Amino acid sequence: MKIIIVGNGKVGFSLAEQLVKEKHDITVVDVREDSLRRACDLLDIMVVRGNGVSADTLREAGADHSDLLVAATNSDEVNMVCCLIAKNLGTSYTIARIRNPEYTATLSELRRNLKIDMVINPESATAVEISRLLRFPAAANIETFCRGKVELIGFRLQQGDFMVGKPLHTLSNQIKKLPLLFCALERSGEVSIPNGSTVPQAGDKLYLIGRPDSLDQFFRILGRYTPKINQVLIIGGGKISGYLAHMLSKMGMRLKIVEQNASRCRSLSERFPKSTVICGDGTDQELLEAENLSACDAFVALTDRDEDNLIISLYATQKGLPKVITKCNRQNYAGIARSVGLDSVVSPKFITASNILRLVRGMQNSQGSVMNSLHRIADGAAEAMEFTANSSTHHLGISLKDLRLKPGILIAVIVRNQEIIIPEGSSSLQSNDNVIIISRNSGILDLNDIYQEEKAVPGTVGGAQ
Amino acid sequence: MNLKLVLNVVGRVLKMEAVAMVIPLVVALGYGEDPLPFLYSILLVLLVGLILSVLPAKKHFYIREGFASVGLIWIITGVVGALPFWFSGYFNTLADCIFESCSGFTTTGASILTDIEALPKGILFWRSFTHWLGGMGVLVLATAVIPSLGIRSHYLTQAETPGPVFSKLVPKQAQTSKILYSMYCVLTLSEVICLKIAGMPLYDSFIHAFGTAGTGGFSNRNASVGAYGSFAIDMIISIFVLLFSLNFAVYFLLITRKFKEVLRSDELRFFLCVVAGSTLLLCINIYPLYSNVLETFQYAFFQVCSIISTTGFATTDWSFWPNFSHFVLVILMFCGACAGSTGGGIKCSRVLILLRSIRREIHRIVHPNSVEVVKLDGKVVEEDTVHSILVFVGCYFLVILSAALIISLDGYSYTVSFTSALTCVSNVGPGLELVGPAGNFSTFSSLSKLVMSLCMIIGRLEIFPILILFSRQSWRRA
Repeated sequence: MKIIIVGNGKVGFSLAEQLVKEKHDITVVDVREDSLRRACDLLDIMVVRGNGVSADTLREAGADHSDLLVAATNSDEVNMVCCLIAKNLGTSYTIARIRNPEYTATLSELRRNLKIDMVINPESATAVEISRLLRFPAAANIETFCRGKVELIGFRLQQGDFMVGKPLHTLSNQIKKLPLLFCALERSGEVSIPNGSTVPQAGDKLYLIGRPDSLDQFFRILGRYTPKINQVLIIGGGKISGYLAHMLSKMGMRLKIVEQNASRCRSLSERFPKSTVICGDGTDQELLEAENLSACDAFVALTDRDEDNLIISLYATQKGLPKVITKCNRQNYAGIARSVGLDSVVSPKFITASNILRLVRGMQNSQGSVMNSLHRIADGAAEAMEFTANSSTHHLGISLKDLRLKPGILIAVIVRNQEIIIPEGSSSLQSNDNVIIISRNSGILDLNDIYQEEKAVPGTVGGAQ
Repeated sequence: MNLKLVLNVVGRVLKMEAVAMVIPLVVALGYGEDPLPFLYSILLVLLVGLILSVLPAKKHFYIREGFASVGLIWIITGVVGALPFWFSGYFNTLADCIFESCSGFTTTGASILTDIEALPKGILFWRSFTHWLGGMGVLVLATAVIPSLGIRSHYLTQAETPGPVFSKLVPKQAQTSKILYSMYCVLTLSEVICLKIAGMPLYDSFIHAFGTAGTGGFSNRNASVGAYGSFAIDMIISIFVLLFSLNFAVYFLLITRKFKEVLRSDELRFFLCVVAGSTLLLCINIYPLYSNVLETFQYAFFQVCSIISTTGFATTDWSFWPNFSHFVLVILMFCGACAGSTGGGIKCSRVLILLRSIRREIHRIVHPNSVEVVKLDGKVVEEDTVHSILVFVGCYFLVILSAALIISLDGYSYTVSFTSALTCVSNVGPGLELVGPAGNFSTFSSLSKLVMSLCMIIGRLEIFPILILFSRQSWRRA
């Protein structure tokens, strides 16, 4: 696909990087010569220097015949105008990054009038992600499928968990009866798809897919069930905190927000009168102690600096808080964070890029089976995708044990008429099924992409249980 | 410097060159000539290529590796291209073979052969085919046909494509290279057809089309294009030589129907003005020699096109023309073709930016506090680019002077030493006096021939990719 990215900032660059890997034709527009030169040196893309609101610049970038334009400059207004102009020039689909909360109320009107097809707001998307993690504290990360009917949860095994050191097929009947599937295992950065003989070890991250209530039950058996979170401590009072506070207070959680800037504190207190807003340095341990850190159920570090977030999160973990969430924009810190025991790391840049990637994948296969959602798990090392099978899908009605799937592919869940089926060898795909696929290879665009071409080793079907 | 990866890339390009040698092999077989020189060369190149390309290497490839690979590949290509000449036995020394091969790949067209027509057709075909390969670029071809070099390939093409700024036609480098080569092939084939219709034998049409396409200038006749004495052939070659010395991006704009942007190109207008102006000056100057308007125009126009495009074909021995005409042609040798073309020289866009920054400098003396930017095609030229162009032009003269100094050891006149160095660095072909259009380079010493070969490569790659090979800094580990 021909894609134009306007604005070569954090999000723009990481998006371009990912899209180049998926073999799209990328043109990046920016006003800054040096940032363009860097992008041009590192990626196989074309660059155009100029302002994204100028029709000439956009035409030079090929907006008259491109499939998608992503406006991700640091100005909301530039992004909106850029989308409008590109649309008028002939770009088929436009995405604008609009992050100012002031626009939120009039967003649908703006979208209609400015012909923006999709709005992305990295801060609000990050807040949604964090609120989901807080709703299910046992998970390090959590993704939902089929409008919440199926959830995919990643959690880290600890020393002393009953599963550690035993092959999966020896698990007790109590667990085997639950409609759950162990769909991926991450060990020191490597992702594999587990089978009955896999032996989980302490420190492994296991991904579990199934109905929310059965997942709940599993964590109860594991002894990890944490009662509902009531008291949340948020460090940093920026945009993400604003969106998050709004969501969490709706869920009935009590909030304590620490922010350094007095005027920001005032506006937060104005918007969330029930919350406690504290004006002070959130990285100061004395202050955290004074606010009785260890009595909170969850801790969210959202300051501007990745380093500060990591350090105070470590401190909170040390104090024994059950749930610690860290915002970290730099991708290379995420691995370090994990190695020191911080599991729930969120990155606005990564979340935004994933959201757009999902859309691009969806646009690419408009003819075949529809991709409903795509989640990248284990830092993008594997992907979980939901498709709807239709008449174009091959091998319908053939039992899975007779199918040859590509290596590294797992059919995790089939949702048929509201019913959730964990597939076995005898199950088969049927038209209109929603199918959730776990894949270690990137670039699955259609349900038919999972099948192995003639003569090859059988893939993993059914999996762990 | 990641030498292993550089050698690995060299190996893969060598394999491609071995494949390219199959074409002259087929030609030689077709004419019933001895195929052994090509067979030996192919096997040798293939062997070295295979050994180098299986070298395990880390994927550490940055601009310095890119420039070094390009420099090394071109030097090795020059030697590799000499192998068929060497095995054929028609050449006296190895230096002669290397000179002829470098002259071919760099599209210079200077020759050490005294009697070209005595050589077998397969060897002559290879000699001209190197023009065609070198014209658009060996590495541009490599990025187009080798599916993934597995490295940041734009570093390679960037170093090989002539011009002050490098830009792609489409986002993907491989795709850009494919588009460039398809346009190149189509233009070359149209010339072959035109020449055939104008009455040239098919074999000769191919030879001259290759010479024109790469803006090289090797002919299979001793008297070059003059041997045909046909007005039509002269005009066809003049026009195609001009077409190949335009920036290929212009053709892409035409294909994609962006006519306005073509008209906006300052370089194109400047180039055409220079061609028209110098043709007019030459016509006035040489009119007394011919006293026939059409004939005067035919000779003047052909020579101007041939020199400014740095091709070096000749329809007449212009050594007996007046000194003024000589000087106009020497200035054209400096100027050269457009950026992004197959021609050599300093390049029109650089000359244009240079002239504009001179005007700005004068303006600044008159108005010391004035702020003025240099523009090209209606766009601001970055100060960095202006700066690098000034340095480039300085280096260009320095290289010519140093080479002329070494060549002067052979004891020829000032004019011969200087113009032979100039014609090599600018990839033109003929110089003045002894090395004029009717002369050749056979009488120089082996040292001079090797220096000139290096000069041709330096000129073709626009200096820096070769200089980096001689810089100690680039070979340090850290």
